Amino acid sequence: MYAAITSVTLVGGEARPVEVQVHVGRQQEVFRLSGLGDTAVREAKDRVRAAIASTGIQFPNRTVTVNLAPADLPKAGTDFDLPIAIGVLAASGEIPGPRPAVSVGELALDGSVRAGYSSLGAAVLSARRRIPCLVASDVAPRAAVVPGSVVYGVASLAEAVDLLRYDDRAPVRAEPPASQTTVPDLADVEGQPLARRALEVAAAGGHHLLLYGPPGGGKTMLARRLPGILPPLGDEEAVEVALIHSAAGLRRDPEPVRPFRSPHHTASRAALVGGGSGVPVPGEVSLAHRGVLFLDELAEFPRANLDSLRQPLEDGYVTVARRGSTVRFPSRFHLVAATNPCPCGYDGDHRRPCVCRPSVVARFRQRVSGPLLDRMDLVVKVGRVEKLSLGELVGESSTTVAARVMEAVRFGAESDGGRIGGEARRVLLDALDKGLVTARGAVRLAGLARTIANLARVERIGEEHLAEAMALRGVW
Amino acid sequence: MVIRRLGPDDVDYPAGLCDLEASPRVHLMGTTATGPGVAVVGTRRCTGYGLGLGRAFGAAIAEAGWSTISGLARGIDAAAHHGCLAAGGHAAAVLGSGVDVCYPVENRSLYDQILASGGAILSEYPPGTPPDKWRFPERNRIIAAMAAAVVVVEAAERGGALITARLAAEIGRPVFVVPGDVDRVASVGCNRLIKDGAHPVLGAEDLVSELELVIGPRRAAAPNGRHIPETGCDIETLAITWGLTLAETLVEVGRLELEGVVGRVGDMIVPR
Repeated sequence: MYAAITSVTLVGGEARPVEVQVHVGRQQEVFRLSGLGDTAVREAKDRVRAAIASTGIQFPNRTVTVNLAPADLPKAGTDFDLPIAIGVLAASGEIPGPRPAVSVGELALDGSVRAGYSSLGAAVLSARRRIPCLVASDVAPRAAVVPGSVVYGVASLAEAVDLLRYDDRAPVRAEPPASQTTVPDLADVEGQPLARRALEVAAAGGHHLLLYGPPGGGKTMLARRLPGILPPLGDEEAVEVALIHSAAGLRRDPEPVRPFRSPHHTASRAALVGGGSGVPVPGEVSLAHRGVLFLDELAEFPRANLDSLRQPLEDGYVTVARRGSTVRFPSRFHLVAATNPCPCGYDGDHRRPCVCRPSVVARFRQRVSGPLLDRMDLVVKVGRVEKLSLGELVGESSTTVAARVMEAVRFGAESDGGRIGGEARRVLLDALDKGLVTARGAVRLAGLARTIANLARVERIGEEHLAEAMALRGVW
Repeated sequence: MVIRRLGPDDVDYPAGLCDLEASPRVHLMGTTATGPGVAVVGTRRCTGYGLGLGRAFGAAIAEAGWSTISGLARGIDAAAHHGCLAAGGHAAAVLGSGVDVCYPVENRSLYDQILASGGAILSEYPPGTPPDKWRFPERNRIIAAMAAAVVVVEAAERGGALITARLAAEIGRPVFVVPGDVDRVASVGCNRLIKDGAHPVLGAEDLVSELELVIGPRRAAAPNGRHIPETGCDIETLAITWGLTLAETLVEVGRLELEGVVGRVGDMIVPR
C-alpha cells in the first residue's frame, strides 16, 4: 500500500516540490526514512508516531518506509512532519484517496501543527500547481498573500485529516501582514542637506553609496533611512524576499518594506555570502536582496570578505557550493557603506585635531579602497551638524522624498534612458581630455547624471545634471 | 641637484641670518628668494581649520610677492608650503636634517615641487644628516631669523612653533598669531602667545595689511575671478556664502570641477 503526498522545500530561495512517498508493507514493525534529511528531518519519525497516536489513530504496526523525493536533494527542518503523517495515514488506508494538496508543518506530540519555515513556499507551490495547500493555522493568512494560492490553515493533524477526506471548508482569506517593520523617518535627521541629496539620488538610481565622517555624525542614522525612501516591493518581490528569509530560517512576512541588513564586521564570509553545512543557506547579501546591505565600519571588514562581495555585486546572484548541491541565491542589493575617515575619526575635522599618524591614515584609507570603492558612485562626507542655516531641505520627511524617488524611478522606466545632451557630452569629453575623469569614471558619471535628470524628469541629460553628478560623485 | 654651502659673504646668503650670533653657514638646494620672506609655522597635529588657514596664509603671502618660509613638517608647515606653491610663490623650507634628506617622507612630492618651482631647501647641517629630534629646535632659529615676520597658525601648549615664536621675538621679529577657542587643544599655545604680547591676526587679508607695515607695500594683486576661498570650503558652507540653494551650489561646483578650476581635498573644494 502506497501513497505520495506533495510537500515543499526551499532551494536557493525558490520553492521546490518534494514528493513524500510512503509505503506500508507487511513485514514486522519498522519505520524507515530516506531522502537526505538532516537530523530534524530524521527525528520526524518520533514526532509523527506520537502525533498519530495522540490523534486517536493506531499507528500501523507494519513496515513503514518513507522516502523524500528527489532523494538526492538535501533537506532540512521539521516541515515534513505533516506530509509524512498524512502519507502514513493514506498508505495505511485511514485517509482513502486524499485530495491533492501541498502540506507543510511541524507536528507536536499532541497532534497539533506548528509553523516551520516553508509555509510561504507551500503557498507558492499551491499557486503554481493550482492545488490547495495546508499550513499551520497561525501563519495561514500571511501565506495566503501569495497571488493565486489557495491556503487552508490547520491547527492539528485531526483537522488536516478531516480536510483531506473532502470535508468542505472555505480556504483562509489573505491577510496582508500589517507591516511589523517600522522604518525610521528622514525627518529625524537634522541638517545634512548634502548627505540627504546623495541619499535621494542613490535611492532613485540604485547607486551604491559611501558615507564617511567623524563618529556620531549620523552615518548610520542616514543609512537606516534608505529603505524608507525606496519604492515599496511589489507582491511577487515581497514573496521572493520572504522566501529567501525562510531559507535562512528567519521569519519575514511578505511585506512591502524593503529589507535592511547590517552585518557586523566580524561576520564570517559564509554569513555574508551564504554557506551552511549540507543544505546551503543564504547569506547577508541574499537577505538584502531587493533591499539595502549596510556595511558599517567598512575598514574593519577583512579584505577577503569584502572581495567575496564582488560576484554578488556584479552578477546579482551568488553561487554557494556545498557537498551534495550547488545553489544560486539572488543578491541584487543596494550597497551603503560607512566609515570613519581615519582610525581616530577626526581627519579633516574643522574643530578637532586628528591624532593619527599620517602613515596610519594612509593605510586606513587604503583598506577602504579597492574593488568595492570602485562601485561607489556616491561618496559623501557626513560631518557633525553645525550649519542648520541651510533651511531649504531640513526636516523633509521620508514620505516626501519617497514620492520624488518613486516619480524618478517611474520616469526612468518609461523614458528610453541614456541620451546625453550635446552640451553635456562636450563638457564630459573635455574633462576626459584634461584627465579630470577616467574613461570608467565618465561612464559612471553619466549614469549618475541620468538619475539626476530622472529626478528632474528630463529626457536629455543636460550639462547641469552632469555638473551635479560631478559634485556629488565625491572622492575618497 | 647642486648643493651649495653659503656663508655671510655670499650674495645669496639669507640676510636675516646675520642677526644670529656667529651667522651660521647654511646648505642650499634651489634658489633663495630675492625679496623678504614670512614664516608660517604651527603644530603638526592641527585641525582642518588650521590646515585651511595655513594654506590661505601661504597663498596670500605669495600673492603679496613675498617668500613663504616654513619647516616642511606635516600639518601647518606643509599647508603653508602648498598654499604658497598654489599661488605661484617662492617657497623656502628649512630642514632639521641634511638638505638631501626629505623628512617626513610623505612630503616628498611637496619637497620636489618646491625645488621644481624655483624655491629653496635650506639646512644648517651637512648633506646626509638624519632627522634627529634634537636638531629641530635649533633649526627653528634659522626660520625665525630668515623671516621678516613669523605667523603662528595653530600651536598646542608646547611645541616647535612656540619655540620659533620665542626666538623670533628675541631677535626682534614681529610675531603674528591666530587666536582660537580657549578650550581648543590646538589653539592653547596661540592664545598664550597673544596674552604674552603677540599680535592677533584675523585672517589672510588682515595678515597681509599688518605685514605691509613691517615689510612694505605688497605687490599689486592679480585679478582673481574665483569665488572659492584659498582655504578651501565644503559644499554646504559654499552654499551659504554664495547665497544659493544646495542644488544650485552642487551644479556650480560640478561645473568648476569639470573645468578643472577646482579640485578636492577630502570634502573641501579648493582652487587649483
